[in-house]
Amino acid sequence: MTEKILCCHECDELLRVPQTRKEGRLKCPRCGTTLLRQKKGMVEIMYALSIAAAILFLLTNYFPFLSFHVVGNTSHANFMTSIIYLFGEKDWLIGIAVLMTTVVVPLIRIGLMLSLFGPIYHGIIPPYTVFALKVLSHSLPWAMLDVFLVGVFVSMVKLVKMGTIIPGLSLWAFMVMVFVMAAMQVVFDPQPLWEKVDERRRERELA
Amino acid sequence: MRAIDLGMASCHTCQKVVKLPKVKGEGEVLCPRCGEEIHLRKPNSIQYTWALVIASIILYIPANVLPMMEVETFAGTQADTIISGVLYFLETGSYLIASVIFIASIIVPITKLIILIYLLISVQKKSPLRQKQRKKLYTLTEIIGKWSMVDVYVVAIMIALVHFGGMTEIKAGDGATYFLLVVIVTMIAAMQFDPKLIWDTEIQGKKETNARNA
Repeated sequence: MTEKILCCHECDELLRVPQTRKEGRLKCPRCGTTLLRQKKGMVEIMYALSIAAAILFLLTNYFPFLSFHVVGNTSHANFMTSIIYLFGEKDWLIGIAVLMTTVVVPLIRIGLMLSLFGPIYHGIIPPYTVFALKVLSHSLPWAMLDVFLVGVFVSMVKLVKMGTIIPGLSLWAFMVMVFVMAAMQVVFDPQPLWEKVDERRRERELA
Repeated sequence: MRAIDLGMASCHTCQKVVKLPKVKGEGEVLCPRCGEEIHLRKPNSIQYTWALVIASIILYIPANVLPMMEVETFAGTQADTIISGVLYFLETGSYLIASVIFIASIIVPITKLIILIYLLISVQKKSPLRQKQRKKLYTLTEIIGKWSMVDVYVVAIMIALVHFGGMTEIKAGDGATYFLLVVIVTMIAAMQFDPKLIWDTEIQGKKETNARNA
């Protein structure tokens, strides 16, 4: 029986795992880090979730996000309004940070997930798999929609004392999107995809 | 057994295990699968992490002294720092908001810096103690890091919603920029730290050599 060698990315422990191992979680015996997830149906679930996330992203950015009424005055904000005002005030650094962490990075991640799992679901390993997996791995800490959601709640409570806050359709879409993206992060397991990349390379060398 | 004992290393990006050449050459070893550089340990991890930790401690001072948010009304301008914002919510009875901001803007960055300093010192001493707990602390710094951004987002949302024809305007203060830098720099510091260093102790190395010879 062939074995594959794994190395724990947290503590450098080496371990051998039978090649035929198909399902279930594998934890590092020394430090307890999850090394393999091998969840059944990962591709199908990821494909479905990334379609949902893409639709919710469009809804979030299309409809009004929050409206705020104070005695005779009303202001409306879309999801990206804060970024426009930050740039208008020349707060470049904050503006770029908010733009990157709440719009650009999540959009790139959703797009890559969709363009990876779409073809893989239909049995094709796209030629940009290595690139997509690398970007997904490096961009993970910089997607901060969940943090932004808490920020929205805090500012709603802050403003509720001054006037009336009316949540728009976009806010609901956004809340669902945060949960969908959290679910994606739990299910997403790049290891089987990396193995497919290896397999394809081996086949090419044989051919 | 550690991978380093056999001259092997795993790719930081795709986790592929690669046997490194015995003679240390000048050039980098590239991952055959994803093309990223492979190192036994992240190069200069301790030095870079120290530098970034010190930088974020320095940035944390203006972040707290300068105002996060400036509220301009016809009666004048009111500036709020992180701490005065927390105190304001305590006085007005919004304990939940006060604690969210207190945890996100004060406890999280300080805890993170203390953990990183503790990890750096213990790794430099090659301490064999509490390795599992230290590994958990490192995972914690990776998870909590981005939550400090809450206050920056609150400022951004307030700016978007509160602007009533010159009557009331909200502007981001310089403190917000410094605070943002603290968040980014501490996040990069945590990424620079190599958790594998926690397990590089002399005792561990000896014990394993003995086990192999036996």
